[in-house]
Amino acid sequence: MPHIEVENISVELPVFEVKARSLRRELAAMGRRHAMAESGDGCVTVPALRDVSFSLKRGERLGLIGRNGAGKSTLLRALAGIYRPTSGRITSSGRRVPLLDITLGLDDNSTGRQNIKLRGLFMGLGQRWVAEHEAEIAAFSELGDYLDMPVRTYSTGMRMRLAFSIAMTVEADILLLDEVLGVGDSAFQAKAKARLGEVAGRAGIVVLALHSSPAIMELCDRALWLDAGGVRMFGNCHDVVREYDDFMHHRMAA
Amino acid sequence: MRAAALGGGLHDLVQGLGSFRLWTLLGWLDIRQRYARSTLGPFWITLSMGVMVGAMGVVYGTLFGQPMARYLPMVGDGFVVWGLISGVLNESCGAYINNANYIRQNNAGLWVYVFQVAWRQVLMFGHNAVISLALMVAFGFPAAGVAWLAVPGFLLLLANVVWMGQLLAILSARYRDVPQMVACLVQIFFYVTPLMWRPDMLHHYRWILDYNPFSALVDISRAPLLGMAPASQSWLVAAGMAAVGWPVAILVSARKLHLIAYWV
Repeated sequence: MPHIEVENISVELPVFEVKARSLRRELAAMGRRHAMAESGDGCVTVPALRDVSFSLKRGERLGLIGRNGAGKSTLLRALAGIYRPTSGRITSSGRRVPLLDITLGLDDNSTGRQNIKLRGLFMGLGQRWVAEHEAEIAAFSELGDYLDMPVRTYSTGMRMRLAFSIAMTVEADILLLDEVLGVGDSAFQAKAKARLGEVAGRAGIVVLALHSSPAIMELCDRALWLDAGGVRMFGNCHDVVREYDDFMHHRMAA
Repeated sequence: MRAAALGGGLHDLVQGLGSFRLWTLLGWLDIRQRYARSTLGPFWITLSMGVMVGAMGVVYGTLFGQPMARYLPMVGDGFVVWGLISGVLNESCGAYINNANYIRQNNAGLWVYVFQVAWRQVLMFGHNAVISLALMVAFGFPAAGVAWLAVPGFLLLLANVVWMGQLLAILSARYRDVPQMVACLVQIFFYVTPLMWRPDMLHHYRWILDYNPFSALVDISRAPLLGMAPASQSWLVAAGMAAVGWPVAILVSARKLHLIAYWV
């Protein structure tokens, strides 16, 4: 029974570039108690998520909305188990399949076919899974002969189609998607939306970050509005999106 | 607390080992990528090592006034073994840094990337081993009675460089000076490890050998190829390093691996 339970998580992202990320600085600060206390770890941290809590049950499809930098991608990474929260706790059960950044996670110099295998292995799936699903992925992605070309030669839309098709084929209990519907032509977008709805039906839980309010209304039944790393509103999709749209509208008018 | 951390760390390690299909594929892709579209492909590895062994062997053999039949195999096998040691140590520094795009996209466990580097280096070592074979053909095969010791020697060497590699990968992700420091240190160790010279040429600087852990690692994997049994002290040093190094690497991993996604 897949579920996600997020309890008061906060995530702080260290930004090393602001202060030198060097051993020299750390060594120089050694023995000088005050310097260490002042600079902490010697780096600046950005609070990306503050005290976020919510829970999802099987069959729920959550849309994350919020402005750029509100923490949507960070939250997805935390849910995927890539970022361990600085504080708080996430408990979840079931296979989590992240599709967080379509341009990453593909090997540019390998062919589409080899990338299917690579992504499969990254998700802990074996040779058999690849053999069984390659044809399905090939058909859905509509890549045709390009599947035997290096991914380096693909357009952004083609990469997205490949990555999306792979993610949609994995038997996921929890599917985590970040802005994946933004790319691809409109025909593929329509197809992708239909597929997403279908997968959501059997996957159990889907969490997706989207910029477009209509798409959220269409695909999700719950929504979480993130603002500056905190939860502004969580609940029924329509209520949250309406509130968010009103807010954004006022901001634009002001 | 420490026992729990050790248990958790061990679990990660076992999980990483279990993903061998993934890291062998990643390691192979690296090699293929490096030599893509070149006519000789990965055999450039063999060729460049062969040229280096030939050139250095002849020049230094002449300088030191050594008989080539003894000196050339020693240098050749030494370079082949050293290639593995220096390759793993140097390239482990980039194991996390260079895989940032995979690390931020997947939750496949982080040992995978260090094993990827190790596997890539083992593949390169395989290509270089042709040179050892060629030297044996030219200058005579070692007695089978000692030659088989190269296998446990090689495995123990590998076990040691992998734990070092894991620590270096973590340190490098946090402190970007570490890769440069390692490159510098590996260069120094190249000169103070008996690769181009024989230990008995050292006279009263023998302590350089006794305090250099890499001379033990080279000894256990190279001496059998030259038809000699490695010194028992070398086995002890190598086994001792692995016995201390692995728990340390596992403990540090248990404490720090969850921060890697933030550091890369």
